[in-house]
Amino acid sequence: MQPSEGVAPFDDPRYLFEAWWPGIRAQAWVEGGQLIRLRAEGLADALVAFGELTDELPEQLLDDGVLLDGWLLALDEGGWLDTELLRRRLGGDRSAGRPAYVASDMLWTNGEDWQRRPFSARRERLAATLRDGDRCVVSHALLGEGTLLAEALARFGLGAISARRLDARYRSGSAGEAWLRVPVAPVAQTERPRLALIQRLPFLDEAG
Amino acid sequence: MARSMWRGAIQFGLVTIPVKLYLATEQGGIGFNLLHASCLNRIQMKVYCPYHDEVIPRSETVRGYEWSKGKYVVVTEEDIDSVPLKTMRAIEIEMFINASRDAEGTQFVKQAYYLEPDQIGAKAFYLLKSVLAEQGKSAICKIVLKDREQLAALNPFSKSMLLTTLHWPDEVRAMDELNLPEDQIDIKPSEKKMAEQLVASMTGEFNADDHADDYRQALMAVIERKVAGEKPEPAAARAEPTNITDLMAALEASVAAARSDRKAASAEDKAPTKVATKVATKVATKAKAKARAKAKDDEVEAPRERRRKTA
Repeated sequence: MQPSEGVAPFDDPRYLFEAWWPGIRAQAWVEGGQLIRLRAEGLADALVAFGELTDELPEQLLDDGVLLDGWLLALDEGGWLDTELLRRRLGGDRSAGRPAYVASDMLWTNGEDWQRRPFSARRERLAATLRDGDRCVVSHALLGEGTLLAEALARFGLGAISARRLDARYRSGSAGEAWLRVPVAPVAQTERPRLALIQRLPFLDEAG
Repeated sequence: MARSMWRGAIQFGLVTIPVKLYLATEQGGIGFNLLHASCLNRIQMKVYCPYHDEVIPRSETVRGYEWSKGKYVVVTEEDIDSVPLKTMRAIEIEMFINASRDAEGTQFVKQAYYLEPDQIGAKAFYLLKSVLAEQGKSAICKIVLKDREQLAALNPFSKSMLLTTLHWPDEVRAMDELNLPEDQIDIKPSEKKMAEQLVASMTGEFNADDHADDYRQALMAVIERKVAGEKPEPAAARAEPTNITDLMAALEASVAAARSDRKAASAEDKAPTKVATKVATKVATKAKAKARAKAKDDEVEAPRERRRKTA
């Protein structure tokens, strides 16, 4: 499924909003308790480059015969997203950064095709099937509150949000209105906030 | 030094001087790679055949010469090797010209190459060089490079000689199309004197090191800032390395902060939420700019900056 380009963040209770992670979209296939394929967009199998995931992802899944859709990311030592490290890793440098997989959809589970079921059901099942671990997590999402997430992401330094219709089924090709990639409106800040700063924000709010 | 890109011999009269050619210059611009905007991966240029409607490997391509509209004849490596040309492996000197006076035709240069003489030819090589240098002459020669016969000038240069490939006369455009004055322009003696003074005041020895590519440096600075912005120093306060769940937690915190900002804004005076966030970002930017200005004079800028922000 290929997302359409959205114009601006919006609020709509029919949509689930999450960060558009600045990584590479990838489908992970787990069968027989093993990660057997990791198909990154526009590339051959990324399984070798992301070898750390082969053990971890199946361990965190409660089901077998699973096909996940999500993003492959590389984090630097501070836990921040780093596209350069990701590029090096995809290029075969296994020492580059720490790999992570953020799942956002589940197309098959228990050897069963779920693509015709609505996104809300797939997502619920995904949350129940994949336990958060050190490297693989379910992408955190907000229901209906697209503008709020956009504000948060702007502080966070990410450039886009993903908006998915809860009642849409998975289909190949263009997603139309079922899935939008919406750019976060640029804010006055030119530099990205530091991770240390972000983590202190709740304290600032309590004090004020 | 880099690998030589051509080897052959300088030929003039009955003298043969074996030499190697090395590229004397390289492109100095900042190289960019084309990426797909949505995933930031390098794009690939595929060789596409519209007739078969498929992407083909480069090994399946041949060279064709269009001898009539839409009609091609295939030219193979053997065909090229069989070209009867005496400049195949030679720098054939045609004539010598006065370097300073008759050099108008040698202004249209393509590429400069350093020459390196083979041991056996070294003496003849430096003999030729010293004669050219002493008499202020330049050798005009022909050489086959990259499947093409090229016109070139050979000049003494530093500890060796420089071969500069030139454009053939038919490759040089005429100046007729330019809008140039027909008559002599009237210049007053005082004007000429002023111009002469200006030229004299700016005259100096040319040293290439004094001239920098300002645009390239400025662009590099922009890129470096961007790279630095994308990759902050690791947070020193954390003992253990952070992982993806920490990143999710940080995102949650950011959402919570945005939410409480909204609440505060609507509770205070029902001001639109957008105004509230704008103020927040403005404040953050100001503080950051201040921190940056301070940190500039400071060797240990990273820790200071962080302390200021979290305080």
